[in-house]
Amino acid sequence: MADKMIIEELNAWFDTKHVLKNINVKIPEKKVTAVIGPSGCGKSTFVRCINRMHELVPGAKVSGKILLDGGDIYGGMDVMDVRRKVGMVFQKPNPFPNMSVADNVVAGLRLLGTHSKRELAEIAEDRLKSVGLWEEVKDELKKSGASLSGGQQQRLCIARALAMNPEVILMDEPTSALDPASTAKLEELVRKLKNEIMVVIITHNVSQAARISDMTAFLYLGELIEFDETKNIFEHPKNPLTERYITGRFG
Amino acid sequence: MLKEPEYMTKINAKIMEMQEIVESVGEQVQDALKNKRNGLKPVASELCREAQVKEELIVEMCVESIIRYQPFASDLRAVTVAMKVSYDLSRVCRYLRNITEILDEFNIKSCKVKEVCELLKDAREMVRQSLKYYFEKDHRAAANLIKSDESIDERYRMILKSYATKKVSGTCILFNGITARIVERMADHACYISHETIYLVTGRRTDYR
Repeated sequence: MADKMIIEELNAWFDTKHVLKNINVKIPEKKVTAVIGPSGCGKSTFVRCINRMHELVPGAKVSGKILLDGGDIYGGMDVMDVRRKVGMVFQKPNPFPNMSVADNVVAGLRLLGTHSKRELAEIAEDRLKSVGLWEEVKDELKKSGASLSGGQQQRLCIARALAMNPEVILMDEPTSALDPASTAKLEELVRKLKNEIMVVIITHNVSQAARISDMTAFLYLGELIEFDETKNIFEHPKNPLTERYITGRFG
Repeated sequence: MLKEPEYMTKINAKIMEMQEIVESVGEQVQDALKNKRNGLKPVASELCREAQVKEELIVEMCVESIIRYQPFASDLRAVTVAMKVSYDLSRVCRYLRNITEILDEFNIKSCKVKEVCELLKDAREMVRQSLKYYFEKDHRAAANLIKSDESIDERYRMILKSYATKKVSGTCILFNGITARIVERMADHACYISHETIYLVTGRRTDYR
């Protein structure tokens, strides 16, 4: 199992608050890695460090290394290049409301200078097919992205992220606002995506982590308590804290 | 170990009920064997059917617990182990019933049955102890119990060997040989329960079955 991302001595702060403490982890390529832990443990900060969004917060600070295919994303790699390679999907679907379904998918590409209508249309179709949305929206491509259902909007956002040909997709509780059917579709999509790219997904739902991930990281009070294959974490975790969390004894 | 979830308390209460039935059958079979008495099969069959119904109920409760509570880690292990323990108990009951069947089949009035009687007594004790360690989640004692199975196996082999040199009737050889084999299998199930106890507590599977 090759390591796509190697994180060494990662620390993060909000002003004086130390929110991530000496995180060391190797995340494999073409796998789904779930990040679990109680509220406030640093899950979101962890993934926001991966695509350099943490530094956008005033007073935020990061130290350590995050190597993506050997290149340090905090060591000279262009921020825009990092964010192109590392896509992000948020808790609440956030399609651009003033754009059509098709334009939503290719918005990032347009910003980067792709203007060929034919090329953009082809990419939009391809990515909408990848997320299983094409059949549902092919006759409504010109409608506003905001007119879609919550589950469809979330898949539209993933299609938008995929349009940039990312190598990694970060998902911050992507199903928390979705109904069971939409959640099932999105989980199926995540399982499919791992054939192509590395996926890191934050979830509060430990059953979901067990269902869709290959690897699981458990964070607690900013520390990485345990990182292992999901089967091991959910059958016999090594750390009693992990055991207590996944069995619902705290969190 | 973490505090047991409520559903596991209920499941284990059912396993205790099963144990009571199996022990009652064991006591009656022990007495019948000692006194070379037949005619126990209908009673044993009825009790073992009752135990089997409880086993099915336990499996149902375990499946329901998985659906409702989606247990993980030690909670998940507890549910899967409970299903296996109930199966093992059900098998022990069927072995005891098998002894009543062969008591009905063979005329053993002239046979010496002291050795198999002792073997049965010890195997029953092993089953009892294995359940005690399961309920107490005592994986170390469970590991020791597994070791003690070697003695049962050895005594089983001795019973078979001893008949090669003794001048006794074929009926007695057959009866003692088959009964000893059944009892030896009962002891194996006590070991299986102990292996499950080790897995329940440590999360590590020991190689068996």
